[in-house]
Amino acid sequence: MSREHPHSKATCVKILRRLSAYLDDELTANICQEVRRHLERCPRCELFLNSLKQTVSLCRDLDTKPLSPPLKARLRQEILRAIRASA
Amino acid sequence: MKASSRRTTSPRKAPPSLGFDEFYRQNVDRIYRFAQRVCGPEDSHDLVQETFLNAYRGLGQFRGEAQPSTWLYRIAIRVCLAMRRRKRSGGDRELSLEELIPTEDGDLQLQIPADGLSPQETVENRELRRALNQAVRALPQKYRLVLVLRDMEGLSAKEVAAIMGLNERAIKSRLHRARLFVRRELSAKGIGSPTHDTAQTLVGST
Repeated sequence: MSREHPHSKATCVKILRRLSAYLDDELTANICQEVRRHLERCPRCELFLNSLKQTVSLCRDLDTKPLSPPLKARLRQEILRAIRASA
Repeated sequence: MKASSRRTTSPRKAPPSLGFDEFYRQNVDRIYRFAQRVCGPEDSHDLVQETFLNAYRGLGQFRGEAQPSTWLYRIAIRVCLAMRRRKRSGGDRELSLEELIPTEDGDLQLQIPADGLSPQETVENRELRRALNQAVRALPQKYRLVLVLRDMEGLSAKEVAAIMGLNERAIKSRLHRARLFVRRELSAKGIGSPTHDTAQTLVGST
């Protein structure tokens, strides 16, 4: 069952341009409310928001390989050697 | 007597860098993490070494106006840009909102294939992690730096602006484009669809 889109594409684009600011709580109260109202009535923009939210959340949770103590010591030695060499 | 002989010693020759060792110990994990995120495992050692070498050389001029970590990120970014110049990579391409904001229904509805996964399963999902790393690495550098500092290192827009020497508005604009780019890359990768079955397959692949 296809649902008719209740807005013009231009309205959606305007909202999509503001989604990071919306997620980061950087919009003024009025604009924030405008975005929220749009999202309540526009399932496609809401889907888009969810995917953007998920992207940010994945970025926040992505870990990296920790620096092992031997590598930490080796890097320090190499830095000190470079310092001595350039002195 | 000892005090006067110390005064005549140049700071560079001061008893080898007790201050530097402490500085290294306190910051190396952070810079190593940043280096892996910004330039991947292959160049991360070089970035760490050059950053601390440059920091050592500048330590005497560091007056503490900024947090040491802010100062160090700033140095790391300069090193990063220099490494890139040495590799003779081309300039950064601009990401436009027109290119990143979909106007077609199909693109609008593309989802990140992590639905149905718990936060823990998502983090542990190897395929998703690889796709995310690739997407971040595919970002033009000036956008990647902002995304890494803001969304991965968890700094505020104000801090990132201070590190990068830009205003907050520019940082927010780059951040939005970077997020849209990564979203598009992840959702268009075809590593899955937002169905439960795919989610299960991805879990199984870890």
